[in-house]
Amino acid sequence: MHGFLLSLGHWLQTRSFALAVAESEWAYPFVQATHFVGLSLWVGTNVALDLSLLGVGNKHQAPARLSAALLVWNWVGFAIAITGGFLLFSASASMYVTNVAFLTKLGVLIPLALVLHIVNQRKVREWGFNPDPPFVAKVAGATELLLWLCVVTAAVLIPYAG
Amino acid sequence: MPVRVQVLKKVDFGNAGCSIPLGDFPNMLVHLGEWLQHNSVVVVLNGTAWTAAATEVVHYFSMFVLVGSIAIVDLRVLGVAARSQSASLLAERLFPWMWAALALNVLSGFLMFAGAALSYIPNSTFHVKVTVVLLAVVFGVIVQWGVPKWDHLPAIPAWAKLVALVSLLLWVGAIIAGVEVPALSGIG
Repeated sequence: MHGFLLSLGHWLQTRSFALAVAESEWAYPFVQATHFVGLSLWVGTNVALDLSLLGVGNKHQAPARLSAALLVWNWVGFAIAITGGFLLFSASASMYVTNVAFLTKLGVLIPLALVLHIVNQRKVREWGFNPDPPFVAKVAGATELLLWLCVVTAAVLIPYAG
Repeated sequence: MPVRVQVLKKVDFGNAGCSIPLGDFPNMLVHLGEWLQHNSVVVVLNGTAWTAAATEVVHYFSMFVLVGSIAIVDLRVLGVAARSQSASLLAERLFPWMWAALALNVLSGFLMFAGAALSYIPNSTFHVKVTVVLLAVVFGVIVQWGVPKWDHLPAIPAWAKLVALVSLLLWVGAIIAGVEVPALSGIG
């Protein structure tokens, strides 16, 4: 598995687009900025939904309506974030595939957070018509919030783990 | 383990001259930077691995919430997001998170700045970043102030859309400037 990841990483890292990102003076920071712009839309809208599931700030609007309003740009943000993230990963893939913080982020935390996010986005249609959502919705919202915080923590720890 | 702490050295505040070559940059600012960077709380928080990492986590996470919240409101004013509901309802919903995130972002950012103040103070990319962020905050205030009024008009006026577009571009610019600080100067 380790050898496979390393050779995959090496292959990806030597593709022309990956070399372009890694070697260009200006491309790398711009790809980073793209990743962060996407994450702002993604995390910003996720946090709004999670807080709403927790019952915070629902005075004028139930969680289900907020979620419906944010849905499109939530996924636009996700698409931008993974595009930027994939390019950043490609630029130094063989480093990332051996980095324990990155592997935890991509292999464990993001899948968990993503699945729970999709569940929350679907279930809010039944939970979310009351300004005070049911207990299960609050637990789900709090858990998703915590998982995204863990994702960001793992990302910050990548250089520490390297 | 990357440690941000700088080498401690004795600072003589009675001495108007500065031991660090920073050209003719105002001495007062340099002294403030020296004081900040050597402040014991700053040294401990930036020099301990877990508090330094936690500060970064808070800075990134709050930045996402801050920029995401205002961006959605800007996109709504521009007429491209969340058209199923009024701009003022969305703004009412998202602006509290935006301001709370801004507070956390400024607090964590200040701590990171303080840890390497003498490197940041003369750094022109950092000056650009701070200027763009301040302008973006001003535009955020204008949008928050304007949205309830614009919503009462038959259609959101073109100049209001321009304000929202500038606000959006300023935040994207702030992110670009933010990543250029380490990219161009290696600080942070």
